[in-house]
Amino acid sequence: MTDVSILDLRKTYPGQAQPVLDHFSLSVHAGELVALLGPSGSGKSTILKLITGIETPDSGDIQFNRKTILNTPPNQRGAVFMFQKAYLFPFLSIAENIGFGLKMQNASKATIQAAVKRMLDLIGLPGIEKRKPAHLSGGEQQRVALARALVTQPRLLLLDEPLSSLDTAVRANLQEAIRRIQRELGITTILVTHDLSEAMSMSDRMALLLDGQVAAFDQPMRLFQHPPSEQAARFVGINTFLRGEVSDGCLRTDLGTLEVCPNRSKPGPGVFAIRPEHIRIESNQRPNALPGIIKDCTYHGEYVEYQVEIPEMSVRARVPMPTEMVPHGAPVHVIFPQEHLFQIKNA
Amino acid sequence: MSQRLSTYTLQLLLYGVLATPLVLFAVYAFSERWFFPALVPQEWTASPFARLLSDRRTLQGLGESLSIAAAASLLSLAISFPAARTLGLRAFRGRQAAWLAFFVPTVVPPLAIGMGLNIFFLQIGLAGSMLGVTLAHLVPTLPYTIFTLSSVFARYDENYEHQALALGANPVQIFFRITLRLVFPGLVVAGLFAFLISWSQYLLTLLIGGGRVLTLPMLLFSSVSGGNPASIAALSLLFVTPPVLVIAATARYLGQHGAAVQEQY
Repeated sequence: MTDVSILDLRKTYPGQAQPVLDHFSLSVHAGELVALLGPSGSGKSTILKLITGIETPDSGDIQFNRKTILNTPPNQRGAVFMFQKAYLFPFLSIAENIGFGLKMQNASKATIQAAVKRMLDLIGLPGIEKRKPAHLSGGEQQRVALARALVTQPRLLLLDEPLSSLDTAVRANLQEAIRRIQRELGITTILVTHDLSEAMSMSDRMALLLDGQVAAFDQPMRLFQHPPSEQAARFVGINTFLRGEVSDGCLRTDLGTLEVCPNRSKPGPGVFAIRPEHIRIESNQRPNALPGIIKDCTYHGEYVEYQVEIPEMSVRARVPMPTEMVPHGAPVHVIFPQEHLFQIKNA
Repeated sequence: MSQRLSTYTLQLLLYGVLATPLVLFAVYAFSERWFFPALVPQEWTASPFARLLSDRRTLQGLGESLSIAAAASLLSLAISFPAARTLGLRAFRGRQAAWLAFFVPTVVPPLAIGMGLNIFFLQIGLAGSMLGVTLAHLVPTLPYTIFTLSSVFARYDENYEHQALALGANPVQIFFRITLRLVFPGLVVAGLFAFLISWSQYLLTLLIGGGRVLTLPMLLFSSVSGGNPASIAALSLLFVTPPVLVIAATARYLGQHGAAVQEQY
């Protein structure tokens, strides 16, 4: 079992003025799956390249079990990875591909053969030893790539958007498979993705990467429901922010006064946020509501998304399983349930 | 239907144009007596071939041509490989200039290069040797191998090597087990070019070899000035056979393996 510490890492690519990563630190517990979530260009793939040794950092340290690995050659670090493409060696059979890592360690034929069989059983594709990569589907190729990566019992598994070129059904299937195998083997894993739902469904903890730094790092549920900053909140799909003065369990805004939970709010100027799923739309006046006008509504099956204009701001609300839709232009009351309004800590 | 017919006609025409000189050579090489106005020779014979093959110089020419062409191709590939990899995969300052510099030998008259090289090779004792001629042949072959291989590397994906690296392979293992296997079809094509260019080289062989290195083109030229059509034809046939065999083998290899590797990219 290996834990990973990334300490104050900085990386600048040649010919670029700005570093991709600056003061980047992250610690991953042994056996944990951590997702790095960020927009493209946030430097998340660079971190994986630095860990494997394909790139070298300007400064900072990467440690496995409290020992630096920066002086270890890339082929001895025991950090394997899986990309968006499987990169199976096209001229080798499936068995030869999976056995590649063991062959590099001069393992015996019998050992390799047994290991290949065990890995094929693990990924649920027994009996395809003799086939060539070109004859497998995209999802099967990724499974084989996973088997090839794990056959040497590496210290660390790095996943760089491994599923983003697959269609939805295959993808969900593989997400489960990867998670199951990862838990079964207890291998420390870092997953890089730009897909929020993938990060949440697969990870033990997830880190939001913005501008080369960790903007938030927590369990998926906590990050999703109570993001610590406005930036992080926007990233997990929150776009309703109410600014005002907090006192006596009330938030006084320019638009009106809303009740908030007194034990979860700090007096003084503050910013409150709410998830779109928690906002309700009613035609009659209710407590803790602000008046508005429906600007747009979109039917998504599982929910209807409303865009409601309340003076000087636009609120997005998701109403689950609706039986009827409020028409465009209708005057409504937007309810902000007290228990779901939360204060942004780092406002 | 008519479209298919015209395609066939075109193909027939093309093959006809390509094959006619060869057929003519063959007819000439086997004719004993052939006078106007006969359409085919009046008497056939194999004696020009017998004569040719019993001549020690023919076998020597064939041997030297084959060794020089093979050595020049392999050397050319070995030198081009790192150059092409850098040109194809890396963006660096002066890339355009390097590109242009590799092109220069194809536009400078071979006579100028040959004269210069000859003086230099005389000084260092390479003139008149097989090694000298082989090195001289690199001048025209290198541009072709470099350009062929750099287009291969322009489409090359280094992530295959990164995978092998992460799986524990060392640089030597990566080179022989991954890189070489992935670019092998490209190496075959580049090697073919180098072989053909070296094979038909006359001027550089003459200048650097100084008559002591005897390749088939040298023999062919002296036989042309000798003026016996049957001997010229027989020697020409012998001259075109190895390249045709090499091209056929390459085409066959690429037909079987090129496509399978290509579809992975």
